[in-house]
Amino acid sequence: MATTADSPLRPAPISPVRRWLISGRWSKSVVFLILAFFSFAMFYPFIWLLFSSFKTGADIVSLPVTLLPKKWTLSAYLMVMDPTRANLPIAYVNSIIVTSGTVISVLITSSMGGFIFARLEFPGRDYLFYFVLSTTMVPFLTLLIPLYIVMRELNLLNSLWGVWVPSIFSSFGVFLCRQFVYGIPRELYDAAKIDGSGDFGIYRNIILPLTKPILSALAIFVFLGSFNAYLWPLVILNEEKKLTLPLIIARMANRFGGTDYQAVMAGSVLVSIPPLIVFFIFQKNFVRGIALTGLKG
Amino acid sequence: MTTLQDSPSAGGQSLPHLPVARRDSLWRRFRRASPFALIYSAAILIFYTIIFIIPFGTGIWLAFQNWDFITNPKFVGLRNFTKAFTDQYFWLALQKTVLFSVVEISLGLTIALLFALALSQIIGKWQNIYLSLYYLPVITPLVVSLYLWRWLYRPTGGAFNTLLSSLGLPEQPFLASPQQALWAITVVIIWAHLGTGIVLFLAGINDVPESLFEAARLDGAGFWQSFYKITLPLIRPVLVYQMVVSVIGTVQMFEAFFLIPGPGFSTRTLALYTYELGFRALNLGYGAAVSLIIFVILLGATVFQLRRWQIEWEH
Repeated sequence: MATTADSPLRPAPISPVRRWLISGRWSKSVVFLILAFFSFAMFYPFIWLLFSSFKTGADIVSLPVTLLPKKWTLSAYLMVMDPTRANLPIAYVNSIIVTSGTVISVLITSSMGGFIFARLEFPGRDYLFYFVLSTTMVPFLTLLIPLYIVMRELNLLNSLWGVWVPSIFSSFGVFLCRQFVYGIPRELYDAAKIDGSGDFGIYRNIILPLTKPILSALAIFVFLGSFNAYLWPLVILNEEKKLTLPLIIARMANRFGGTDYQAVMAGSVLVSIPPLIVFFIFQKNFVRGIALTGLKG
Repeated sequence: MTTLQDSPSAGGQSLPHLPVARRDSLWRRFRRASPFALIYSAAILIFYTIIFIIPFGTGIWLAFQNWDFITNPKFVGLRNFTKAFTDQYFWLALQKTVLFSVVEISLGLTIALLFALALSQIIGKWQNIYLSLYYLPVITPLVVSLYLWRWLYRPTGGAFNTLLSSLGLPEQPFLASPQQALWAITVVIIWAHLGTGIVLFLAGINDVPESLFEAARLDGAGFWQSFYKITLPLIRPVLVYQMVVSVIGTVQMFEAFFLIPGPGFSTRTLALYTYELGFRALNLGYGAAVSLIIFVILLGATVFQLRRWQIEWEH
């Protein structure tokens, strides 16, 4: 404020230190180094994870603890892949089934819903939409116990169906796609209508291809949410052969936690691989997705 | 939320040059509606009936019952709610929840904002590389992170204590101590969620027009001054959004307190308490009552934050 009131002919004296600070020339290198340090600090736990997974059972409990394995071995990986000791391969299949089912169903129902709520006319449309949106106001924790009871009545306990069913639709996905469809020129819809296309045809041939950017962003969030989910699968699944990956990691930590922690580490590395692959393949979409989804993280 | 309002509330079917459209009967409007839309609406309505209306209704009904899954439910009136207010474990859980939530959000958002500010000074390839590194904990399954940190936190032979003793500092019990466990978990969660905050803040900062900073620089404003006068007010919506979402997220945080708990009740939050009442103690009625109280708390917190923000936003 004070600086603007000063006469431009008589600039306020600036100390050399301050001039250096303002000039911005320092910032690049200093900021770069600070960030490099902190990114190393943030990455540090993962370094432990990776190296520990190559240790032997004796090595991981020996004191003083060292970062690098004394003897590199794949025994921990073999241990967790051994079906008689851990059910990691089955859990992999389970997780992939549930996650892909969730991603596919959410993408279909969200893009359809986005189109229908944005462009089609039917009685009660806006009421239905605001109802769908309002369901997000109730936290999942509040629904946990009664939803479990409902699933028990539907005989969906201890099955992957029970994990999947509550996430067939996503109110957030519907909301997102509706916003996106508003951005698609109405004329496209009207022209196709005049050409005699049915609404489903318009959805398939026009809307679906055009909503691809938002759908790929949505897919990443849904993938991560579903793949990493813990509480709901914990409540639904019981039998060892039905467990998803996060649950099997917890079981392994209980089983191997005392003496064979390297097995937990190896399992953790294997479980982290699918999200990492998805992240690095879709990295561009990720950042764009955050911009597109407005603010959702 | 402003985005909600740009929807054309009157549909495109009504012609603009006809000021008074004749209201069709409900039946005719249904007949004219496309079957595609009607089938979808029926499906989504059935879905939310099963997944939302029935459970929510059941939850409210259950909160007034006493039920253990085995005997018949018994109506107990408001007793579950009055019990909550005299139950010291409920208050303890509420205290832990609030402590965790407040510290996680205030520290987490501050650190994320600092990181985003620093990252905004770097442009191009390296910004993306750093961003990916900070985002790694977000994409790693939380279960993996929790067990990893529990391993690093071990009182004897843990990586952190090894680091501390090599620096000549006293070793700490971390998760084994009732005083430290909650904060040890808070650090893990801040670490795990930091990437989200950084990405959102950075997107907000990058949206601020460069000309504003230039004008401020010409006026002699320093880095911090332009931060307080330009950046902070302009990224305020991002900040408020993150606070609202983080409150909802932290209050519902479950895995951390379930998988790497501290001793005794030192890290039992409301989320864990609800789970234990429902699935361990099989006190379903009381569990439903506690989870409804969580709903009311979160609703209140959300409305309060949005209100507060709106009021300050206007002047």
